[in-house]
Amino acid sequence: MTTGTIFNFFNLLKEDGISFAYRGSFSNSVLAMATELIKNNMDEEHSKLRNKLSFLMIESFQNIARYADNDEENQDPTPTSDFFMVRNVGNIFFVISANLIDNDKVPLVRDRLTKVNTLTKKELNEFYREVLTNKQINQKGGAGLGFIEMVRKTEDKLPFDFVKVNEEKSMFFMQIQLRNPNVENPSEDVSIEDAKFIQKNIASEKILMMHKGSFSQDAVGPVLKMVEDNMHNMKLKMQKKIYHFLVEILQNISKHSFVLDGEREGIFLMGMNGGRFEVGTGNYIASSKVDSLKAQLDLVNSMDNEALNHLYRKYLREGRVTETGSAGLGLIDLARETEDKIKYEFTPVTDEYSFFSLTVKF
Amino acid sequence: MLGRLHIQPTDDLPGIILDPKNGEFRIWGRVIPEDGNKFFKPILEWVEEYVENPNPETVFYIKLDYYNSSTARMLSKLIMILEHIQEVNKKIKVVWEYSKDDEVMYERGDELKSISYLPFELKPL
Repeated sequence: MTTGTIFNFFNLLKEDGISFAYRGSFSNSVLAMATELIKNNMDEEHSKLRNKLSFLMIESFQNIARYADNDEENQDPTPTSDFFMVRNVGNIFFVISANLIDNDKVPLVRDRLTKVNTLTKKELNEFYREVLTNKQINQKGGAGLGFIEMVRKTEDKLPFDFVKVNEEKSMFFMQIQLRNPNVENPSEDVSIEDAKFIQKNIASEKILMMHKGSFSQDAVGPVLKMVEDNMHNMKLKMQKKIYHFLVEILQNISKHSFVLDGEREGIFLMGMNGGRFEVGTGNYIASSKVDSLKAQLDLVNSMDNEALNHLYRKYLREGRVTETGSAGLGLIDLARETEDKIKYEFTPVTDEYSFFSLTVKF
Repeated sequence: MLGRLHIQPTDDLPGIILDPKNGEFRIWGRVIPEDGNKFFKPILEWVEEYVENPNPETVFYIKLDYYNSSTARMLSKLIMILEHIQEVNKKIKVVWEYSKDDEVMYERGDELKSISYLPFELKPL
């Protein structure tokens, strides 16, 4: 992950009101946090979709569990690890899943999806009753009930695709689409090709979690909890360091980022590369603040840990008043949490604001 | 005597008991407020009033799982206020409690100890 990666993802998801992607092993806590994160971040105009969306996220998650033929367990994520994403573009919410499936199951899943995608509303209800009363239940349960429910709930088709990985497995992509009917100027469809492209990029950059949206305190809480839940097999000291770094950096974005169209928008990426944890953030910042922030970053990057500790203690005791409040203290703290230097980049967007991206390795 | 101050902990704010009558002074939990000033203002004000007329002996227990930098400054302010108790010839001690396998909280306690001018005990649990 480089500072360029962060800018690229931010641009790729530019039209997204909120987007959240997760790759790796799935647990109920991830689902709970993802649901909370999306709920907290939904704009008021979409609030009526909340319950439906939560339901669809749960269905999608369970679908991954139901159809996934993934042999890996507790290993580092691979390019074909389970993938889950929720994004909001205009008046549509997309719930995307991708997971490995045995090639010999592909025809069955394809048939089921093709069927539910071609049925009318009336036919779908009849089919639903038929499946419900059918005593024959397939091995992994479900018999396509999940798919039927998704179509009934969204009143939309379920785009899907299979990408062959090898002689045994394929990657199964599916996209649930939930429209807000009460919004004028409905947005255009987003092809499942888009989802495949995002998954590919997230996998190749070895990203485990990505969140783009508003960085208010409400929004940050669930992200932190999710990260915490994902660090269980790490040493406590490392967990605390990473956690500490995230609190500081996310709160910093929430406090100091440039307000564009009433939002403090940002992107947060977390990855694992070569056994090391990587964190990246990106947000807009007023161009007038760039020079002073750059100077502060260069200063902490030029100091060794002893010097940073000394400066930190001095500030603790004496306090320090800067135009950005406690930014000085937070930044020194960030610098001493990581052994590598903080890598950063400012990309001018307009005269008024720039994009500030930052990466750190642990 | 100053009244008792009791705050229940939440996900991101600590629990606090300041009770001169029963000699209990305690702050615990996770502290990650975006604006440390806002949360700590009434607490620091309470302590400022207390140090004017403290108990003969005060033991202040701090047991945190985690805190952010905006809180770090508030903790150092708290300690600096408590230092005043020594000026009126009463006793004050801060006990920093941490889980014995939590190196980070130990280091943070040790750091606060190094900038404090009062008895400061690091106590593994």
